[in-house]
Amino acid sequence: MNRRDVIKNVALMLGGAFSAPTLMAMNHWENPTKSYPSGATFSLTQTQRSIVAEIAELILPKTTAPNDVSPGAKDVGVPAFIEMMMKDCYLQPEQLSFMEGLEKMEQVKFLELNDNERKGILKYLEQETKAEMKARQMKQTKMGDNDDHEDIKKVAKGLPFWRLIKELTLLGYFTSEEGIKASFEYVQIPGKVENIKLKPNQKSYAY
Amino acid sequence: MYLNIKATKNNTFDAIVVGSGMTGGFAAKELTEKGLNVLMIERGREIKHPQDYDTAMKQPWEVEHRGKVTAHSAEELWANKRFGNLANDESGPFFTNDKDNPYIEKRPFDWIRAYHTGGKSMHWGRQSYRFNKEDFEANAKEGIGIDWPIRYDDLAPWYTYVEKFVGVSGQKEGLDVLPDGHFLPAMPLFAPEVHFKKMMLEKFNRPVTVGRVANLSQPQEWHTKLGRASCQYRNKCVRGCPYGAYYSSLSGAIPAANLTKRLSMLHDTIVAEILYDEQKQRATGVRVINQKTNQVEEYFAKIIFLNAGAMNTAALMLNSKSNRFQNGLGNDSDQVGRNIMDHHLGVGATATVEGFLDEYVYGQRPNALYIPRFRNWGNDKQSYLRGFGYQGGASREGWSRGVNADGFGSDFKQSLTKPGQWTIGFGGFGEVLPNPENRMYLDPTRKDKWGVPMIVFDAAFGENEIAMRKDIMNSAMEMMDAAGFKNIAGYNRPEVHLGLGIHEMGTARMGRDAKTSVLNAFNQVHSVKNVFVTDGAAMTSSSCVNPSITYMALTARAADYAVKALKKREL
Repeated sequence: MNRRDVIKNVALMLGGAFSAPTLMAMNHWENPTKSYPSGATFSLTQTQRSIVAEIAELILPKTTAPNDVSPGAKDVGVPAFIEMMMKDCYLQPEQLSFMEGLEKMEQVKFLELNDNERKGILKYLEQETKAEMKARQMKQTKMGDNDDHEDIKKVAKGLPFWRLIKELTLLGYFTSEEGIKASFEYVQIPGKVENIKLKPNQKSYAY
Repeated sequence: MYLNIKATKNNTFDAIVVGSGMTGGFAAKELTEKGLNVLMIERGREIKHPQDYDTAMKQPWEVEHRGKVTAHSAEELWANKRFGNLANDESGPFFTNDKDNPYIEKRPFDWIRAYHTGGKSMHWGRQSYRFNKEDFEANAKEGIGIDWPIRYDDLAPWYTYVEKFVGVSGQKEGLDVLPDGHFLPAMPLFAPEVHFKKMMLEKFNRPVTVGRVANLSQPQEWHTKLGRASCQYRNKCVRGCPYGAYYSSLSGAIPAANLTKRLSMLHDTIVAEILYDEQKQRATGVRVINQKTNQVEEYFAKIIFLNAGAMNTAALMLNSKSNRFQNGLGNDSDQVGRNIMDHHLGVGATATVEGFLDEYVYGQRPNALYIPRFRNWGNDKQSYLRGFGYQGGASREGWSRGVNADGFGSDFKQSLTKPGQWTIGFGGFGEVLPNPENRMYLDPTRKDKWGVPMIVFDAAFGENEIAMRKDIMNSAMEMMDAAGFKNIAGYNRPEVHLGLGIHEMGTARMGRDAKTSVLNAFNQVHSVKNVFVTDGAAMTSSSCVNPSITYMALTARAADYAVKALKKREL
């Protein structure tokens, strides 16, 4: 399935079409226009910060349903957390693919799209990322013993943008104080370990 | 610095112990309890138990990078980073900065160090298994390396002695391959693990047990006396335990030695050389360098225990040159620094478990399931020698399953608040054969910032280890399949080198013959009778079981011998 077909499928899935400029931008987004010199420090523009915040909130939105009242990614500071983590904990390959991902979002004018279109973009990103992660994994399992050493060093391309922003959104949210307490049964000092029966609708323990 | 006033007069003690980790702590405990005034010298900073475990009680949101390693830490702790996330905010401060303490890799060697009070005992995996009878005999039977100068029965009472003091939770199984010890109550296996245990017995006649782990499941009077309390099942051991629930030199041996009031300790003090008296034909003391002030000083004692960790102990011997020992103290055999062994890991399999969806667990077990060695055991015969054990376990997936799953939005978020399916994973710990070509030595010209020659590593896995690794992965997958597990994925990490098991050993081996070994049956240097080496350097073979409890048993046995010999004026 080529890129155009995937985009069409995603559009169908959402029961509507993307606007022509968005489709065009998606079709060409593998070629980022800017280049990032090595050694440059990681920093985001205000627009990029807004894109990160909107994507994080779409991944883990604030919910007010009667059976699930819980904060969203923005409420618990996930956007700033993502930027701090990208800066502090990732090396250039990941920082580059993160910036490239953001640039694609700028190309499709993500902030100007409606909610449905934004979700469509994320669905498409998800499918694209899945294919890329699968290819990476296949490459890794093909490597056997010590003698394949050189091969693994060549994998210099960073994890895809969607994988990075999704992981950091989940990490930031589910380890934040409000996120943990709203989502799980938080137990700081269990005092024992034992097999128990899971009750219906029981939340996970977090420690 | 806590110098015992009486002893400082002329820097002279009954015994000097180099290193405060797993074996240094135990040596200090044994020697002080037997009446000796002991100076223990630690090259790294002082950590006080428990008040210096400053990340121990932090809640998840109080840990800035939430378990990930910063790029800065990864650069500073470049060797440590190869292990995984040890250099993160929680445990990074308790490992050694590799940039400040560099070493040279002629061939890659993963050297993970902890220069501070208690050394690596502060964050060891705590798995505690006795060597079996065969482990002490296999070298001789197979013509590998040299024969151990001792047998299982020589060490058995010392295993019991150490297990009692340390406190090991475990299940007696009555197996020759994994001898039982003195155990505190065992921790539970989880539902899919119980199923797995049953299936392995039925299909392969392979026993499975719960890990034997040095966490107090039920403290005894001699544990509480030292201020140690029951495990709280937080499984945050790597940060240091504020309850003293897992054994470390800090929570156990050093407090016990301090009770005697015969222990003096130096921190930030690098032992650069063992002083040798050509006339008396014995070691007289050590030359040390203060790592902060560079001040050089000498300390003297009747006996010296080397417990600096296998690689540093060998380096210290190699750096102690004299007219008599031009290749390093006690190195007539040229075996000091050779025969580096470890346990090779980073190979195994993972799978998902169908069912058991009404089963869950409260609390966090700081332990795993253990599958004892079954290869080249009984009637099993492989193309390679020796064997491996597996460690791992089952758990229900948490929120992190969402990272690689499809989906986002409110339903996705809600779904991640519930436990996911069960998954299971276990990895092998494989025996490494001794090979004199696997070695470390001192660089003839390059020195560290204290003027001590840098260590060069020149070692790699051999054919036996590489063949065993394939079997470790395939057998793990086969066993998971037989248990009915799904989505089985084997792994054999290519970037694993010797050292990554953090069980580095063998660089001053015990043996019967001074021509082919460095130490005798009581860990005494053949040619310098008042120097004892009782850390991992002493090991003649590696077995496949975690080694700390064996190091401690050897230490207790050697200390007993040393004090008796001192009293008989043989030393």
